[in-house]
Amino acid sequence: MLQPQQSSQNLVFTKQPYIEDVGPRKIKSIQFSMMSESEIMKAAEVQVYLGQYYNSNRVPIQGGLLDPRMGPANKSCSCATCHGGFGDCPGHFGYLNLALPVYNVGYLSTILDVLKCICKSCSRILLDEKLCKEYLKKMRSPKMEALRKSDLMKSMVKKCSTMASKAMKCPRCGYINGMVKKAVGVLGIIHDLSKVNENEKECRSAISHTKESKASINAATYILNPVKVLFLFRRMTDEDCELLYLSDRPEKLIVTNIAVPPIAIRPSVIMDGSQSNENDITERLKRVIQANASLRQELLEASAAFKCLAGWDTLQVEVGQYINSDVRGVPFTMQVAKPLSGFVQRLKGKQGRFRGNLSGKRVEYTGRTVISPDPNLKITEVGIPIRMARILTYPERVSHHNIEKLRQCVRNGPDKYPGARMVRYPDGSARQVDRHLEDGDVVLFNRQPSLHRMSIMCHRARIMPWRTLRFNESVCNPYNADFDGDEMNMHVPQTEEARTEALMLMGVQNNLCTPKNGEILVASTQDFLTSSFLITRKDTFYDRAAFSLMCCYLGDGMDLIDLPTPAILKVVKFDMGIGEYLYIPIELWTGKQVFNVLLRPHANMRVYLNLTVKEKTYSNKLIRTEGDEEIRIDSMCPNDGFVYVRNSELISGQVGKATLGNGNKDGLYSVLLRDYGAHAAAVCMNRLAKLSARWIGNHGFSIGIDDVQPKEELIDKKKRLLSENYEVCNVKIKEFNEGKLQLKPGCDAAQTLEAVITDLLNRIREDAGKACMGGLPWRNSPLIMSQCGSKGSPINISQMVACVGQQSVGGRRAPNGFIDRSLPHFPRKSKAPAAKGFVANSFYSGLTATEFFFHTMGGREGLVDTAVKTADTGYMSRRLIKALEDLSIHYDNSVRNASGCIVQFLYGDDGMDPANMEGKSGDPLNFGRLLMKVEATCPVGENKYLSPEEISEMVRKLAEYGMNSDKCCSEAFIDSLRKFFEGRCDKLENKMKFIEDLSGDKNSDILEKVVHKTSGITARQLEVFMETCFSRYRLKKIEAGTAIGAIGAQSIGEPGTQMTLKTFHFAGVASMNITQGVPRIKEIINGAKRISTPIITAELECDYNENSARVVKSRIEKTVLGQVAKSIKIVMTSRLASIVITLDMQTIQDAHLCITADVVKESILQTPRIKVKEQHIKVLDFRKLEIFPSTEKSKIHFELHSLKKVLPMIMVKGIKTVERVVIAEKEKEKKKAKENEEEKKKYRLLVEGLVCLNF
Amino acid sequence: MSSIILFEDIFVVDKIDPDGKKFDKVSRIEARSQNCDMYMLLDVNVEIYPMRVGDKFALALAHTLNLDGTPDTGYYTQGGRKSLADKFEYIMHGKLYKISDEGSGKTLKAEIYVSYGGLLMMLKGDPSYITQFELDQKLFLLMRKL
Repeated sequence: MLQPQQSSQNLVFTKQPYIEDVGPRKIKSIQFSMMSESEIMKAAEVQVYLGQYYNSNRVPIQGGLLDPRMGPANKSCSCATCHGGFGDCPGHFGYLNLALPVYNVGYLSTILDVLKCICKSCSRILLDEKLCKEYLKKMRSPKMEALRKSDLMKSMVKKCSTMASKAMKCPRCGYINGMVKKAVGVLGIIHDLSKVNENEKECRSAISHTKESKASINAATYILNPVKVLFLFRRMTDEDCELLYLSDRPEKLIVTNIAVPPIAIRPSVIMDGSQSNENDITERLKRVIQANASLRQELLEASAAFKCLAGWDTLQVEVGQYINSDVRGVPFTMQVAKPLSGFVQRLKGKQGRFRGNLSGKRVEYTGRTVISPDPNLKITEVGIPIRMARILTYPERVSHHNIEKLRQCVRNGPDKYPGARMVRYPDGSARQVDRHLEDGDVVLFNRQPSLHRMSIMCHRARIMPWRTLRFNESVCNPYNADFDGDEMNMHVPQTEEARTEALMLMGVQNNLCTPKNGEILVASTQDFLTSSFLITRKDTFYDRAAFSLMCCYLGDGMDLIDLPTPAILKVVKFDMGIGEYLYIPIELWTGKQVFNVLLRPHANMRVYLNLTVKEKTYSNKLIRTEGDEEIRIDSMCPNDGFVYVRNSELISGQVGKATLGNGNKDGLYSVLLRDYGAHAAAVCMNRLAKLSARWIGNHGFSIGIDDVQPKEELIDKKKRLLSENYEVCNVKIKEFNEGKLQLKPGCDAAQTLEAVITDLLNRIREDAGKACMGGLPWRNSPLIMSQCGSKGSPINISQMVACVGQQSVGGRRAPNGFIDRSLPHFPRKSKAPAAKGFVANSFYSGLTATEFFFHTMGGREGLVDTAVKTADTGYMSRRLIKALEDLSIHYDNSVRNASGCIVQFLYGDDGMDPANMEGKSGDPLNFGRLLMKVEATCPVGENKYLSPEEISEMVRKLAEYGMNSDKCCSEAFIDSLRKFFEGRCDKLENKMKFIEDLSGDKNSDILEKVVHKTSGITARQLEVFMETCFSRYRLKKIEAGTAIGAIGAQSIGEPGTQMTLKTFHFAGVASMNITQGVPRIKEIINGAKRISTPIITAELECDYNENSARVVKSRIEKTVLGQVAKSIKIVMTSRLASIVITLDMQTIQDAHLCITADVVKESILQTPRIKVKEQHIKVLDFRKLEIFPSTEKSKIHFELHSLKKVLPMIMVKGIKTVERVVIAEKEKEKKKAKENEEEKKKYRLLVEGLVCLNF
Repeated sequence: MSSIILFEDIFVVDKIDPDGKKFDKVSRIEARSQNCDMYMLLDVNVEIYPMRVGDKFALALAHTLNLDGTPDTGYYTQGGRKSLADKFEYIMHGKLYKISDEGSGKTLKAEIYVSYGGLLMMLKGDPSYITQFELDQKLFLLMRKL
């Protein structure tokens, strides 16, 4: 105790540091049990026997439920036991004696288990002595875990009950035991002795003497009432209790006395008049007392035992409901609409004690209001309204440095802004001032639903006027917030430790990336993208004034900025008209140069950004191929869609969402974050937010009706498109009606028609969309937004301008709400596009009444789906979290759960932190990008280029060094690194070879120089590259202690909530839909045995031949007789009657089946539950067979007809569970297709059904 | 003088906007040189310096505008000092960002790519004209119509 005191003299803590107790105490065990009858009586202060509360003077009645000895009922009373007031009396128990014992419903199943195992006469275990000993030995083994013990007990119960199911003689007393089961409809247990033979005889003879002998009274079942059970339990030996894994006496499971809980936990609220409002528990107890009293009365009368039972049952139900109000077995007459809650209800569920009050609590120092955007705030800041800041406080310890500030705060008082609400003296000398929140204070910011850890992050406070919480729009993404009225919560950590922890772990800067896949989450959105897109357009030029102004925008005019050299320094030749020219200098900067300034405002900033991104507008034109390498147009893209930043200079490209937005690992902010840290990325985001908000405010960006007006040309084209495709639709419908429609594989006629029409209609919308997008001028606002990715898609635009398109409900065209039609405006059975929900109009031209109706149908589906899915996915993510919450990384790099069991030896098999992965497919590093950066940042200068051999040699050496230096780089990583360089070396080698051939030529050294310049690398560059690779790899390892279980669960749960639309969950392959998304995940979590849409992808041995694929298909697919038979006829002659089956050989051959009459015969014989025997079938020839049923003549007619009904269903070929097999074309592998043209298509089978279970 | 100018030739405009007109003020011109047989793609601000097909112009690439050959400081200074710019009409300043090659062996052609603040230039031709260029070199493009 001396040491801490000493140290506290030197060090000043704001919070008492945690000092470990001298003698640690270890809990050896905790035992839970029920209280026995006498224990309850001993613990109680009073016997409660009156079901009343207050007398007429509003004084609690003695012996009533609010007896003052159990604690004061309200503020005016005091406790009769401890004389404490309402505030300080902890409450005292009372007890309630029951007239007859009842079961405790919570333990009904335990009681049942025990009863199953013991003899109903002598209370001993039903197993013989030897077996008992064996089990007891196992039970007593200290090595056995608790779960295993309870399993053992269950197996014992099972053994006993199977033995008892057919009358079992007790090995000790010889009593014959029957089966014990739960009574149906009432709370009770019955002993079924109907299987016991002697009893039955006796019973029968007894029943035969009674009048109602035919009545279905099963006299052999006896009700085991609680008194009997209590008697049995009391006689059980302790050893038997141990054997049944009971830690305490079983008689405690039966209620004889009820402990009446203290009033403190069931407060009585007095309403204004004479009314008082009692707690549910009190009400329940009152009813128990009433039932108990009437039962006692009945017992006193002692007239008929039959009558008594009714009162007893009522008491049982009341006590049962007191414990658990929705207990099963409550008689219908006693069920109420909204029952009073019992104890179980207090504890259970989301609002229950555990989840509602213990795991989660209501807290102080919080705020909640509407949110609004403010691009002038940093991404790490949150704007807090002054009125909120005046209420929320932080206890600041007074020191020399802040005493003046705090004095002023105290002087200002609680209501004037930089004030204080309280001065505290927590440990005598040092003072704490609960001052108002001020700029820079640490606060936690949160928006529900908190689906992943980025839903609550730590910001710095900025106290601002007005009433909303404000933050930079860049942070909308992690919170999934918008400003349509969303509200958010804010918490103020109250100690210095909490602040630091919050800042380090939850700070926005430290959570720019999602741990789901390492993509950046905090990034520019919406307007920021639009204005960046417009600023970096190729034809935006600024003069000196405009350019300087924009440079000032990005740092509030406070930053040091180096003005770059203008891109155009033209000298305009001005014709004076008399042969003389006036030269006026013009300086023009381009918009891209603004971006250069934004990335690197001045030369002292050492940020050298290097990246390439392909934007949406990138044309991806192929210029030429060199060997197997394709040279794309890259930076010379005519649409300027290739963003190339070299040493923080925007070389080319109009930046959009791919560069600045979230969800791209090669985007600008991702690269900044990886190469220069979170701060650099955050600062850049701040600058861009300021620049773009100010610029777009001056520039203006809006959308008007003229933006969506279609041109004449487009209207004509659309008209043409519609009429053409409608024509085709009509033709197809006609074909369908005539039955001539060419069927698609795996579809029937109706499905084929639907598929064809849907395809056509989608094409109308697509083509109209294309035509519309092509005709829009570049200045069109919706077009700009869709191109830069800030909002909207080409589909949205074409819906406004050209054509809304097909409306779907449940993934199909509009269903029939009327008889044979969707709406009464259309003829019956019409399949025309308009009748099934095709909206040919655009939002601009306006929808017709029917179109509008169809559109609302589609819209409603979306709304309903979102409403329904939120609950579903919420529960899914809760279950995921509950399953994985305790998994974490330990210091030996293994993943273990809370009890220390190993789940994974190395997390993810590589031990890397997913949040730090740079490569698209989860690779630790993107070598290509890194090399590019190294090449750009390490200039060649006078250094020599390496030859290919030198490169490989150096890579080998460096790799070895990386492997051996501290054993941190995995084999796989080094391998991938080596492979990366192999590719590069080969290329260089090839090029050098050509030059060597030309050696002697005068140009050869020039050529060599050029080749070096294009694809060479210096030793220095290689060294730097490898060094960065290794050092970064080391930092990307996951830290011990990371709660990866929660991360994993959140990473699955959060995207689940995004999958709202039902149609989203099904992905089709050739009319074969696969369940995906939320329903599939649910199936997986449930461990469902019968999954929906089971599909097996079967690779074929010879996968290029379609015919062989068909043969295999027909063998697997279930084929029934009805499909291959030409006719199944009943033939009746005067002498005999039979069924003749004729096979359709044409169909059989077409389907590549080998079915003959013999095969059919075999399969008929093998069909279960068919009465036909071998001798009844006669094969006439290879395609005909005859069946003669063998029954009496009177029944033969029916027999024939039933056979005729069954026969078409008989399976003749294939696997029973396989309904369908579809031959699918493999996606052509481009390279292979090029290599040899013959090998065009490859096939594989998609098998629907659970086939593998049968093999 | 020649040490300042890294490349000089006379070009003739073959095509304007080979991929269609995409921008209002900027056009991409395709030009071929007369002496060195160089092929060039260049984005030109046609608003202030209009170009037509068939136009003939002299083009020079220099690493500085100072006539005495002192290297460019990188900081931009205005001023009416005499410079290389006086002889030309349209001047751009940018950075060489990529050197690549096409073909192989004797037919190998070299390409240099320069970005003048986003206005791009691609110059392709015989490797011997390209060797004096370095990556990340700051270049001035000077043009004069003939």
